[in-house]
Amino acid sequence: MGRYLERADHLTRMLRLQAEALVDRPTGEIYSGWRRIYRSLDREPPGGGLELEPSQQGAAPQFQQTQTPSGQAQRRISDEYTLADSFTLADDLTFERANPNSLWSCFAWGRENARQMRHCISAEMWRSLNLTYLKLQRIRMLDIWLASPEGFYTETAEDIETFMGVAGATMYRDEGWHFMQLGRFIERAQLASGLLLAQLEEDKQSREHSESDWTTLLRVFHAQEAYMRTCGVEIRPEQVLDLLVTDPMLPNSMRRALATVSGELGAVGTGPDGASTEAANRMAGRLRSLVQYEWPDSDDKPKLLILIADLSWQLHGLVNAVYFDY
Amino acid sequence: MTTADRFGNYSIDADIFDEMFHADGATRDDWKGLQQTLTDLSTEELNAIQERVTRSFSNEGITFTVYGDDEADERIIPIDCVPRLLVEAEWRELESGLTQRLKALNLFLQDVYGESRVTKDGVIPQDMVRGCPQYRLEMRGFTPPQGTWVAICGTDVVRTNDGFRVLEDNLRVPSGVSYMIANRKAVKASLRRLYRASRVLEVENYGRLLLDTLRELAPGGQTNPTIALLTPGVYNSAFYEHMFLAGELGAELVEGRDLVVDDGFVCMRTTTGLRRVDVIYRRVDDDFIDPTVFRPDSVLGVPGLMDAYLRGNVALANAPGTGVADDKSVYAYVPDLIRYYLGEEPLLQNVETYLCRRPQELEYTLDNLDRLVVKKVGESGGYGMLVGPHATPAERAEYAEQVRANPADFIAQPTLALSRSPCLIDGNFEPRHVDLRPFILHGKTTRIVPGAFCRVALKRGSLVVNSSQGGGGKDVWVLEE
Repeated sequence: MGRYLERADHLTRMLRLQAEALVDRPTGEIYSGWRRIYRSLDREPPGGGLELEPSQQGAAPQFQQTQTPSGQAQRRISDEYTLADSFTLADDLTFERANPNSLWSCFAWGRENARQMRHCISAEMWRSLNLTYLKLQRIRMLDIWLASPEGFYTETAEDIETFMGVAGATMYRDEGWHFMQLGRFIERAQLASGLLLAQLEEDKQSREHSESDWTTLLRVFHAQEAYMRTCGVEIRPEQVLDLLVTDPMLPNSMRRALATVSGELGAVGTGPDGASTEAANRMAGRLRSLVQYEWPDSDDKPKLLILIADLSWQLHGLVNAVYFDY
Repeated sequence: MTTADRFGNYSIDADIFDEMFHADGATRDDWKGLQQTLTDLSTEELNAIQERVTRSFSNEGITFTVYGDDEADERIIPIDCVPRLLVEAEWRELESGLTQRLKALNLFLQDVYGESRVTKDGVIPQDMVRGCPQYRLEMRGFTPPQGTWVAICGTDVVRTNDGFRVLEDNLRVPSGVSYMIANRKAVKASLRRLYRASRVLEVENYGRLLLDTLRELAPGGQTNPTIALLTPGVYNSAFYEHMFLAGELGAELVEGRDLVVDDGFVCMRTTTGLRRVDVIYRRVDDDFIDPTVFRPDSVLGVPGLMDAYLRGNVALANAPGTGVADDKSVYAYVPDLIRYYLGEEPLLQNVETYLCRRPQELEYTLDNLDRLVVKKVGESGGYGMLVGPHATPAERAEYAEQVRANPADFIAQPTLALSRSPCLIDGNFEPRHVDLRPFILHGKTTRIVPGAFCRVALKRGSLVVNSSQGGGGKDVWVLEE
């Protein structure tokens, strides 16, 4: 449940910012945003790739340009295509039931998990999650697209925050709580490394970094204000990366997520097999040390991010093997 | 719209007992408060109450799931917001009858798996007992803790102009108790003032009584045993109830794969290793609880569970083999069993039942198929049944052939005029047929919460209260005197 809701939260934040970008960002940046999301989720977009013709890369929305009537007509079609593509992509990431990472699937599976262990969570948590799930059942992409997609994603993000707040305020701090937190923060580390890798790949392909892409990244992690306070207004990708990965005070940094993973693992205690429990603790410790001690001096950040994602995945499997599938 | 208008379509039939009205149309005294409340509410307010009750079920996720080929369909049982009222004297009458009945049935089970005096004395045919598919040879010679074979029972009761009648005893894994409590929660929150003024007896302590009952079954008389509720799993249609009851009991909810038998004791896998379980409230049918003893293809059960049980290392509620006592043929003998074991006259009557294994009753059944309900012994849930008055001549003829071929497999009962109670239908009150399933707990003593799950046939004229065929539910208020 913790994993699904963390994934839903992450996706909602990315989609909210992407929906905002549709209002006034250039076509190239919009497609770059979609590519980053799909790459970070390791999913093929419906209809194939999202590469644009070179001439379209820097195209701005038609309403910001003064053009000849024929030129305007051409770009209007291009914008309409962009919006139509975006609708399809947003629908795929929001309501597509066959997409295991869609918002709908995250809520359906998160709620199904909650249903199966309803007696282990608080009644308030169940109700909060169930109400959001029922809300999602009643709406379609077209409804939110015609009204305000960013409004919908903002509301959904608030619903998730409410759920997390309700969980924090009402759930008994037994092992159920610790396992939920463990799953949630392992997922957070994985999603963060996936998204940072996708952004680095995007930079590599366009051979230059886009300041707005990196700003968006900061906003996904609720880190824009912290960045400005600690690094100033200039957006430097290395500093953004350092902040998001290693900052001990940023709530959504990878370092804090992995510290929580270690703490929760300690709180769960020794499983039936002490040696396997130790192995899980060592792996969690190694993840922490990668972020805390290896990251600052590493010349190959992408390689380190791949390793973090891989070890996080292994840790998840190990926790299952130690505590549940023995 | 006034109440009189809203009851404009309310028909009263002297042949059918109406819970709210006398045959002459006068309101029964104990229903007058409810009637007054309904008078004071506008149509909009009534509809809002009904909407609130319905919504509370979907918001709380009190659902059952029907699994189709492609996807799962999650449904709620429609709950009518108008409660069914019973007065305490009526309830006490029911309570005494139900207690007496379950006591006799537990003695019967102890006897048929022990000395079998009852068959030797000719009270009930031996072949009927031993030939019953639910008779478990594995249980012969065994005595469960407290002699309690059936710890949890849900008895279906109907009311006619002749009073209450037991329609069926459910002695294996009866369900529906979570709806009794959920209905209460939803309806009392919507009819707050009336509820307070009516002095309704409490049902919400069912979980506590169930816990006390299960504790009394613990091996070695432990006072604080570890209790687990064994569910067939999350895809079972009653999973909500299993989860709800585990929560009420403070027990672990487990599936078969969560349990292992270790050195003759049942243990559950926990994150810190194996932990011994003393009492299992199992919601898995006999056939599936232990693949080494019953169905070998079962993946829902626990290999070795029966061995641990028969050694007395774990208690099961209910005990395996109780199905022989709620068999449809044995049902006809329950009044005789009460007389035999308790030396008392039955306080609650059966529905008149014809056993087709008896030549005269077979003849009567075949001659009156158009007026009778014929049921196949060993089937449940309305399967294998012929409702004579609603069947075509061809259907009756075909069914008659089956009955003639194996008369002992069939029983017949008259079509019952189930009592009716008012329901809110499209803004008006209309009578609908209802039944009643109270839940009886039996350990060292018998415990019954004053309430029941009331099923209601929401389709006009229908007698079928089953939720898969348009049935719904109602809260039952037992009014303190």
